[in-house]
Amino acid sequence: MTDLMTTSLFWLAVTLGVFEVADTVSKRSDRHPLLHPVLWSTPVLIGLLTWTGTPYETYQQATFPISFLLGPAVVGLAVPIWAQRARIRRLAVPIALALGAGAITSIVSAVGVLSLFGAPNEILASIAPRATTTPVAMAIAGQLGGVPALAAVIVLFAGVIGAMFATPLLNLLNVRDYRARGFAVGVAAHGIGAARAFQVDSTAGAMASLGMALNAATTAALLSILALLV
Amino acid sequence: MLRTIFLLIACQLLGEIVHRLTGLALPGSVIGMILLFAWLALVPRERPTLTVVTGWLTAHLAVMFVPAAVGLIDEGDVLKADGVGLVVATAISTFLTMAVTALVFRWALRRFGPVDTEADTAA
Repeated sequence: MTDLMTTSLFWLAVTLGVFEVADTVSKRSDRHPLLHPVLWSTPVLIGLLTWTGTPYETYQQATFPISFLLGPAVVGLAVPIWAQRARIRRLAVPIALALGAGAITSIVSAVGVLSLFGAPNEILASIAPRATTTPVAMAIAGQLGGVPALAAVIVLFAGVIGAMFATPLLNLLNVRDYRARGFAVGVAAHGIGAARAFQVDSTAGAMASLGMALNAATTAALLSILALLV
Repeated sequence: MLRTIFLLIACQLLGEIVHRLTGLALPGSVIGMILLFAWLALVPRERPTLTVVTGWLTAHLAVMFVPAAVGLIDEGDVLKADGVGLVVATAISTFLTMAVTALVFRWALRRFGPVDTEADTAA
């Protein structure tokens, strides 16, 4: 019976089941950022691994079918960018300038502040892609010698606080234009921010998705150029 | 459907090959995204199935990174040593990025913005 706990069948069922419960709660709360399903299913699964004495490596191999989908999902981000090409052309200059400024600000401030705390390089490499969508951040962190799991959790945290504080922060700055607001939320807080933006305004939501997809490519490009120089 | 899945996987594989050949830190999947974009531009036509499949993948992105996030189980020491720094740096970076992006966007919109603003706000 215990050998069942090393199978894909078992851990796929457990992972999807736990996630489904967390996702239902999240839906009922109208997608409150603090009830993000990953935020709650991760500690539950960690608890289950600890309780059953399952090594992470076993779990990682067993759940590979889920993780594998990340690659094709990232490739597919080209589709929303493509679908919004007319808008990108219309707003080319604001998008290009804001994207560049945002991507650089994110990398420099995250790595800068964390290095003040004396964190080692592998941790700095894990926070550098923090503004990109999770699968991209994990891939970049892995490339730069960081820890993908840490990158995933950092990105998640950034998305949650970004989504929670976007409205008060942007009101404070007196930015009223929904294109600017949405784009900023997508660049700074990826998909979780975009989900929040869609609740506020459909233009803001579309701009946030665009900001997320464009920043995934931009931050990845910037960091790989940086990796060549360092 | 199968053709769409093949398109996505083929783009990722090509991306992975470019990644290995060039030695760039750019992940294969991100290069694959750029390749798919190029493909969409080169062969422009309606692709309802592609939209459905990528839409489904994007909508279920969250569950796909759960197995990776569970990897934190082995990172207890890191969290103990650098947890506070990580929280502070992530929060500052997120707010600063949002502010800079929004302000630059607004400034550029006023300075170089499109004459036709209706097309965007109505969409």
